[in-house]
Amino acid sequence: MEEKRIGVYVCWCGTNIAKMVDVERVAEEVGKLPNVVISKNYKYMCSDPGQELIVKDIKEHNLNRVVVSACSPRIHELTFRKALQNAGLNPYMFEMANIREQVSWVHEDREEATKKAKALVTGAIARVAYHEALDKRTVEINPASLVIGAGISGLTAALEIADAGKQVFLLEKEAQLGGHTANVELTFPYMIPARQILDPKIKRVENHPNVEVLKKAEIDEIFGYIGNFNADIKVNGDSRKLEFGNIIVATGLKPFDPSSVDLHGYGKLPNVVTSIEFEKMLQSGKIETKDGREPKNIAIIHCVGSRNNDYHEYCSRTCCMLGLKFANQTRTALPDSNIYEIYADMRSFGKGCEELYTETSKRDIMFLNFDQREGIPQITKAHPGDCCEMLIEMKERLSNTNIEVPADMVILLVGMEAREDAKEVAHHVGVSKCGNDFFIERHPKLDPVATTTDGVYIIGSCQGPKDITDSVAQSRAAAARILACITQGTVEVELTTAVVNEDLCCGCQTCVNVCPYTAISFDEEKSVSVVNEILCKGCGTCGSACPTGAIRSRHFTDQQILSQIKGIMSTEMTEV
Amino acid sequence: MEFKPTIVSFLCNWCSYTGADLAGTSRMKYSPNVRVIRVMCSGRVDPTFVLSAFEEGADGVLICGCHPGDCHYHEGNYKCLRRYHLLQKYLQQMGINKDRLRLAWISASEGKQFAELANEASETITALGPCEIKKSIETLA
Repeated sequence: MEEKRIGVYVCWCGTNIAKMVDVERVAEEVGKLPNVVISKNYKYMCSDPGQELIVKDIKEHNLNRVVVSACSPRIHELTFRKALQNAGLNPYMFEMANIREQVSWVHEDREEATKKAKALVTGAIARVAYHEALDKRTVEINPASLVIGAGISGLTAALEIADAGKQVFLLEKEAQLGGHTANVELTFPYMIPARQILDPKIKRVENHPNVEVLKKAEIDEIFGYIGNFNADIKVNGDSRKLEFGNIIVATGLKPFDPSSVDLHGYGKLPNVVTSIEFEKMLQSGKIETKDGREPKNIAIIHCVGSRNNDYHEYCSRTCCMLGLKFANQTRTALPDSNIYEIYADMRSFGKGCEELYTETSKRDIMFLNFDQREGIPQITKAHPGDCCEMLIEMKERLSNTNIEVPADMVILLVGMEAREDAKEVAHHVGVSKCGNDFFIERHPKLDPVATTTDGVYIIGSCQGPKDITDSVAQSRAAAARILACITQGTVEVELTTAVVNEDLCCGCQTCVNVCPYTAISFDEEKSVSVVNEILCKGCGTCGSACPTGAIRSRHFTDQQILSQIKGIMSTEMTEV
Repeated sequence: MEFKPTIVSFLCNWCSYTGADLAGTSRMKYSPNVRVIRVMCSGRVDPTFVLSAFEEGADGVLICGCHPGDCHYHEGNYKCLRRYHLLQKYLQQMGINKDRLRLAWISASEGKQFAELANEASETITALGPCEIKKSIETLA
């Protein structure tokens, strides 16, 4: 057996780690462990000089295994694996110890943090000793793509890919295309008609030779991996199979239902309407109350369901501008009306948005501010003889007075929430959801449309509340990513799958039953289990169920993890 | 000397490890005696790993996976849950208090919950005192 020669690198991450962990001491102490040939500490391991240091050492000291103790492997594991590859080592002969997110940033006692860091690095060293070279498999990319959801995001992405000459399956749950944008009259801040944006896209998609539009469609199941997905779907009730190489999820949002906000009286007071209902009125060209009268007093209430811990903590990002747009449209349609913009904070951050705010404020609109923490405006039926139908009681923050605002129509600017089927979609495509059920991107800043599942992208409001501008930008970004992937033609996939040692397999078929991907079958002739490497996703649950230890979960083998446990538990810090 | 327990924890890559990372990026502070081992899925946590951790001297073991229904691999966390119940029984038979092993669901967005869990686990195990199983094994050997 070849001699194990491990190089260990402890990163300072500037002061991020070094402030709370004595990196020099950790490097020095783990340097004494068996198989460790060199142990160094360095300011920024992920920087070019940091990586070059590893490459140089691998060559000079003939290292065959490397441990980097730095940030989370979720951030830089791939970076360092590449460095190993550059030095001619198999990228899997690498292990990372997370001493930033899980040590220096979460602890306050330097001695304890240093001790823990040393334990984790020792565990990584013990683990890497048992790492083995793994091959990557190169797979062909199926040039077709699946886009789920045909709102403004899905339509844009589908066209972008189709215009580049690649096939797209555009799947829509409803009978019509266009999503929520189809229910909008004018878009903020430039008052461009939504149909003017949407209709040409729908028309092009419907007639595009490279787009197959599947309406009233739903997904039964999606199998496979980047480059080689396939799906069982139902279109209008009929089963179909699709094959594609990449997936864009553009499933959109669900408007917040204000029935649960008692103080607003939605559902009880007939002329309390949601922004969606008001938008319909605008589309029909008539702003009128339920009994067909022209409202004299119109109030627009912001942050309904948003930025409020009783409902959703987050900001829905579009409602403020929508409120200003409504005020403008109402002012034009009903020049003599009284318009009240009842807001918590005015957030006009987009291009052209602050200008819309300025313009709106010049149009004789009353802006009234409330403090969410002190309660939301309460809407009640007015008393007989009052000049209006409803009264809005609120504490006006700027004047610090309790006031009553007359209203004949109240528009609730409802926020956006994740769709109820987000969970199913997440399961189908293998993405994670945040606490609010929006899908999680691979990296919030550096990789905002990709997900942790290769070949799956998220765009538009299924990732978080978004306006049309941002949704379109994301759509084109995801399309570009996919086109780049298709142009490459092939992609390397990890082979961290399970493998059966036929000599040890007793044929009990426990693994066959626990596999969630039906990736394990039973060879009757040999009386052993067989793993289909294409279907296996490497979860390792078969490995922990196997009674004889016949199944190896590659890169997460029993030996590797047991060794890591031993390593973690073995450390005693030399007292200074 | 004050007893500071060592807790070995197995975190699934997709939810819990990311949640623990989030506790870090959010700079939440928690007790430093939790030592994390990353696995792809809580379903990968072989009972042997837990037993081995105790054998090596851990005072507690924490397993974290995705919330029910949210498993990246569909149902690995359910498999883990079943093994956990059996394992707790087994631990008791071996003379290890079952509360030394804990299974919890931590999603990718639950950094705060992870920090709280680490503190809670630390308090529980501190109250239970050191796990003597390693010593017992050594005596027997």
